[in-house]
Parts: sequence; structure tokens; C-alpha cells
Amino acid sequence: MDLDRLRSTLRKLGLLFRRDFAVARSYKAAFLLEMFQALFGSASFYFLSRFVDSPTLKKSLPQGTDYFSFVLVGIAFFDYLSVALYTFDGSLSEARQNGTLENLLVTQTSLPVILAGSSLYPFVLMSLRTLIYLGWGVILFGFPLAGANWLGAILILGASILAFAGLGILSASYLLVFKRGNPVNWAILGVSSVVGGMMYPVSVLPRWMQFFARLTPVTYSLQGMRAAILGHATLHELLPSLAGLLVFAAVLLPISFLIFSWAVRRTKVTGTLTHF
Amino acid sequence: MHPFSPMTVPALRGISFEVKNGEVLALVGANGAGKSTLLRILTTLLVPSRGRAEVCGFDVAKEPAKVRLQIGYHTGADACFYARLTGRENLHLFAGLNNLKQSETAQRIDELAGPFGLGPSLDRQVRTLSTGNIHRLGLARAMLHRPSVLLLDEPTRSLDPLAAAEFRRFLHDHIIGEHGAAVLFASHTLSEVEQLAGRIAVIDGGRLLGCDTLAGLRSFSGGGTLEQTLEILTHSAPRESQ
Repeated sequence: MDLDRLRSTLRKLGLLFRRDFAVARSYKAAFLLEMFQALFGSASFYFLSRFVDSPTLKKSLPQGTDYFSFVLVGIAFFDYLSVALYTFDGSLSEARQNGTLENLLVTQTSLPVILAGSSLYPFVLMSLRTLIYLGWGVILFGFPLAGANWLGAILILGASILAFAGLGILSASYLLVFKRGNPVNWAILGVSSVVGGMMYPVSVLPRWMQFFARLTPVTYSLQGMRAAILGHATLHELLPSLAGLLVFAAVLLPISFLIFSWAVRRTKVTGTLTHF
Repeated sequence: MHPFSPMTVPALRGISFEVKNGEVLALVGANGAGKSTLLRILTTLLVPSRGRAEVCGFDVAKEPAKVRLQIGYHTGADACFYARLTGRENLHLFAGLNNLKQSETAQRIDELAGPFGLGPSLDRQVRTLSTGNIHRLGLARAMLHRPSVLLLDEPTRSLDPLAAAEFRRFLHDHIIGEHGAAVLFASHTLSEVEQLAGRIAVIDGGRLLGCDTLAGLRSFSGGGTLEQTLEILTHSAPRESQ
């Protein structure tokens, strides 16, 4: 890709981000309520952790952290997977519903760039929400931030988004072809929430389930994120999680782009690209 | 149609015509005749399974990006903008996606605002605009990047008779002729076709029954009015068994 094309693509991504920000800003109350939703979430996990706290539980948690910190990181970062799975097909559905899809598709911008640009705002909003979650945790409930490896956390987050985006693009391909109902999302979120280590460590699962946990990118994401934020792991110690996520990204992204291109071509031939 | 089923229903067959710069061609035919399919192939929203279509010398299937650079597209649908953004914000977004720089877009919006009567609509959220103003905005969006070909799919479909008449006057006075673009439009309103089109393409069941001036079609079919001409052409067309 030459420099001019890269610059033009980045500018278009910025335009699509600004569009979504301007639309979200027009719903002012919802914007404010987001902050309080995160407060209620943090408070629920705090009181749940006080209820279930025990020396046995503490011993089984990695990095010797308390259950509140463990579950807050788990919940906050698991949501990135949900965003990745819903943002691509969500932006397609929204454009179909508000009638802008055809008008977007006849511009000089390809559908992958439109989808990538439309996913930026949800990811930025998700990051803001995560910060608010952690912020309430720090201010009110003693969530430990001192010593966190922020660079490591950012690298894990970036690799997680790349790995999850592959799944999201697969999900959008399904929506393009089959129009509604998305078993891809259902299966990935269902399996990941059971085996990915969101609410409990993977080590408590039966051995055969731990095998499935290794096949799920969210497992590597949550392990790496907890190690970086709660376990103060060095970059070297984060390498296994980072490598796992990058392998998922390297496999899933090309496959998902191929399938997505096929789905676009197919729906352009059948005339169903803009159908609900 | 099931996504994996074979495609057995040809929407268009044996259609061949050419539109020159500055010419206005109307596509006329019953619902399901293939008018929108034809326009959507020219916009690259559909890929033809057979045959060839070119816009300004670019093949729609092989060079879709170059084709999109040449076209402006507007449909008569009510919802085609981000309702909670202003007219100006919408135009800036679509212009940017068409590779226009911000300063260039601002200048172009100023150029179009007068003749398109956009003035106050530009800084109001689209959800507060009348249908007529939304269509003017839609046409302005289609013209922002100075396309060589304008494709309009039933542009007055959702307008009341007065607004439709005003929109037609506007198209006639400010788009046709003035900008030198070739215009293809699909319409069910015969007075609109008579008022705007230089030539008329009559389509039925995906086939082209005739493509000529109104006078040419009349003399070919023996019909007195456009309505009679259409009736004669469509009723005398050979039908395929279903």
C-alpha cells in the first residue's frame, strides 16, 4: 500500500469514527448513564467477592490476587470479545436499517474499510468503559493498580483486538449471507464465557475443558491482562500470552478476510447485499 | 433465495444500449421489470453473472472503484442519511469517503447550497428535514464529487405531487444540461419521463423492448401517448413460459 493510499484510508477511518462519535454525542443522557452502569457493575463484583472470599479461593487464584480484582479484570476485558463479535455485523445491520448502506457502498471506500472504521468507536468506547470500571474499582473498592505493567497491558489489548476482530469479521460474513440469527457469535461467546477464565481460573476446569480453553483466544487475553495489571509481569513473562494471541490473529484474520470477500461477492451476485 | 442455491432467475436478458455525455435516458417499465437491477449493476452494487456493462469505458465488474468515481447515485428512499447528523455533517462524511479533501468539500457545499436551495437545511439534523429537502440533500450528495454519470432510481417516489413537480423543475433547471453529466433515471411517473428524458428505454421482464425518443417510440409502436406506447410494447412482447 503506497503512502497516499494509507493516508487516505486513515482519514476515512477518522471520518467514520467522528460520525459515530457525533451520533453518540447527540444522545447525551445515555453517554452519562454509561458511567453509572460501570459503577453498579464494579459494586456488584465487590460485594460478590466479599461473599465468596475465603483462604481456599485466594490460594487458587493466580498471582495471589483477591477475587474482586480477578473478576473485575475478567469481566472488563471479556467485553472486548463481545464488542468485536457484534461491532462488525452491528454496523452492517445499522447501515441497512438507516438506509445508508447503498450510499456508503457507492463511494470510493471499500466495505472492509467501512467496517473497520465503524468498529473504531465501539472499541474506543469499550476502552473508556473499562477505564471507568477500573477507576471505580480503584476509588471505592481498593482495586490494586500500583506496579501494573501498562505497556504490557496495551500490547495484550492490541493483540486481543486483532485476534477477536478475525472472529468478528467471520460473524459479519455470516450475517451478510444468512441475514439474521448468528450462531457464530452464540457459540464463540458461550464457549469463551465457560472456558475462557472470565469468572474463575481455567485451572478449576476439568482437564478436557482446559483443552478447549487453549483453543479460545479470550483465555490468552485474560491471562495476559491479569498478569500485566495484577501480577506485574514483565514483557518477557507476557510473551506466551502475546504469542498465543498473535497466532490466533495470524490464522483468523486472513481466513476471515477471504470468507468475507466471498460473502460480499456472493451477495452482490444474488442481489441480497443490502437485504435484511 | 437460499444463499447457496443456484441462481436460476435471470433478472436482465439481452439489454444493450448506450448513453452519451449530457444525455438523459429514462428507464420505464412495470414493477420487477429490471430497472433497479440495471441501475444497481451500473453502481457496482450488483455484479452481473453474464454480460458486460461499462461506465465511461470502465467495466463495472472488473474496475468497480473506477466506475464509482464516475457516478453519482440517488434513490427515492426516505431514509438514506444519518438522521442525527446535520445535512452538512452528512455531506462532509460522504464527500470524505469519496476522497474529497475537507476544504474542497466545504467549497463544493457552498457551490451547491444556492442552486440546490439547501441553505438552512445544512445545519439542521436530517431527522428534522422535510422529505423534499432530504431529496435535495441526496441529490447534492450525488453531485459532490462532480460525477460524469448520474443514476437516479425513482427519485420522486416518496414525494407528494407538488414536491415532486418542484423536484422535477429543479432537476431540469440545475442538473440536466448545466452540469453536462449523463443522466439515467428510473421512473413510474410518465409525465416526469416526458418532461425530463431525451430518450426512453422500455423494459419488461428483464428485456429491452425499445429505446428511442418519445416520437421514435410512438411511431414504432403506433401509440398516441406514452401510456399507449408502453401498453402496446409490453403487450406485444413475447412472454417466456414460467
